[in-house]
Amino acid sequence: MREVGTEQVLRGAGALIIALALLLVPLVFPNFLVYQFSLVLTYAIVILGLNLLMGFNGQISVAHGVFFAIGGYTTAIFITRYGMNYLATLPFAAAMSALLGFVVGVPALRWQGLPLAFITFGLAVLVPPVALKLEPITKGATGISMPKPTAPAWFPGNQDTFIYFLCLVGVALCVLIAWRLTRGDTGRSLRATRDNGLIAESLGVNLTKVRLAAFTTSAGFAGFGGGLFAIVNAYVSPESFQMTKSFDFLVGAIVGGITSISGAFVGALFIVFLPDWSADMNIALSGLIYGGVMVAMMLVARDGVVGLLGTLSRALIARLSAARESRSFKTDDRPAGRQFQT
Amino acid sequence: MQLFLQQIVEGVASGAIYASLALALVLIYRATRVVNFAQGEMATLSVYIAWQINQWGVPFWLSLGIVAALSFVMGALTFRLMIRPVLGASDHTMVVICIGFFVGFEAICLWFWGADPRAFPRIFPDYAWTVGGVRLTANNLGILVTLCTLTAALSALFRFTRLGLAMRASAAEREKSPLVGIPVETMLMFGWGLAATVGFVAAVLIAPSLFLSPPMMVSVVIYALAAATLGGWDSPAGAIVGGLVVGVAESLCATFVGFIGNELKVGVPFALMAVILLARPQGLFGTTAVIRV
Repeated sequence: MREVGTEQVLRGAGALIIALALLLVPLVFPNFLVYQFSLVLTYAIVILGLNLLMGFNGQISVAHGVFFAIGGYTTAIFITRYGMNYLATLPFAAAMSALLGFVVGVPALRWQGLPLAFITFGLAVLVPPVALKLEPITKGATGISMPKPTAPAWFPGNQDTFIYFLCLVGVALCVLIAWRLTRGDTGRSLRATRDNGLIAESLGVNLTKVRLAAFTTSAGFAGFGGGLFAIVNAYVSPESFQMTKSFDFLVGAIVGGITSISGAFVGALFIVFLPDWSADMNIALSGLIYGGVMVAMMLVARDGVVGLLGTLSRALIARLSAARESRSFKTDDRPAGRQFQT
Repeated sequence: MQLFLQQIVEGVASGAIYASLALALVLIYRATRVVNFAQGEMATLSVYIAWQINQWGVPFWLSLGIVAALSFVMGALTFRLMIRPVLGASDHTMVVICIGFFVGFEAICLWFWGADPRAFPRIFPDYAWTVGGVRLTANNLGILVTLCTLTAALSALFRFTRLGLAMRASAAEREKSPLVGIPVETMLMFGWGLAATVGFVAAVLIAPSLFLSPPMMVSVVIYALAAATLGGWDSPAGAIVGGLVVGVAESLCATFVGFIGNELKVGVPFALMAVILLARPQGLFGTTAVIRV
């Protein structure tokens, strides 16, 4: 059992390092980058939701940009139209998205696999035209701009840092929920539904309930992320919710690793900073890299960067312990689900 | 009434284009159980290449011929290099790869030709007849004739040639076909190549009216997905019928349903797709998959 113990220590250390790094961001980086990192956090929440759905529950969604958009618009409309406190709008953003997630999730019970991919793909394409069409509510192409929250007197930093810490609290909350959901009985039934629905059902897992709950929760995460995005960005328009946004989240999830929580942060960093960095060279470069990365990841590393690191560290631990016990024969240290394909 | 008939004519014409792209999707699905979301993007790249070759001074029809062959190679290579290594993997993996193609091929077009839309010449002459108050253009008729020719050629290929038989066998029985001497992987590669060429034809037909730009085919793919779903994913005939139904429905809804109008007409295929998936998931002409437990 030593391997497991070491692995858990490694994992804990990894989480601690990420947490510390996130706390240090405003001290190290200039203001503009702090804004970028706030975006990273909001995207990470969406990707976390996507991971819950795709990685842990095995349901495909290429439409998380849609739920993100619902959350963003909900927050923006509640702040500007009803003068609500920005923090108070976030539960509504999450709830509205979760509601739509439920509405999509019910028929999705029949659409597992490819049909679900078509439908969510269609939804992703539909968002900008619908947002334009609902002009009385969404203000069409003009978009909705709103004031940024100001830092209270007790806060020792400036506005951007304050917003960053707001996002950090939001992320912490979501990570806690996701962590709780992926462990214990809930986690087991989520994964059992993914791996083999039939067996899961015969073991007493209520497939309908689990799948629906996963879809609703995942959409709720995306909506919450969207709400925070609206606050960070202080502006929403159909331009922010193009179809490509949905693909961005998908890329982020794949890059980080869809069956990990920390992968969401890796993925979010990737989708925020790569386009900025590559746009200086060629506007098409980020698309090219996104496309290439998606295909390449599927060909060589289906568990993403975090999965890759896990495999490497497991191999390293195995080798170390094997050397220590001077026993070179190991039966199986491949992670599950990576059987050789013909 | 005249407007109604006119809209049906227009709908049939655009439906024929959706049908040809849907045909490409179904070809690939039947062979490899992959739904190629990027079919439209691959076709856009082909059309760009044709445009470029034409700009370099090659006669228009010759450039179309060259690129039809090139598209075949592109489709076959895409399969060989990126799909074959993961053949048989989960739908999940395939969807991600195809979305990757989608983003990647669009980026390639953007890289070489930029975002500015370009005019693409019409294949058919600007000529129109008026029959009982309904305007029939040579372009619309040409599109229909092209679709019919394409369908006839493909069915003949599948029905009457050894190659077609081998392709059908590889699609139906991937494990057993090699036992009778069919090179399955070559056949699947051939299927992908053929689909890319069919997709190219669809894109050439639609490019003059949409203008050539990297995201040109994005919404067309939705129509094609709806058409294939409507017809049933294992039925080429279904794809044709589905395409025409989607085209007519879109055209009628855009004209007669005030709320939908021109802006929301992409919602029509979406709604059709959702309804058919709920009511009859295998599509109108599809067969139900039998799952072995």
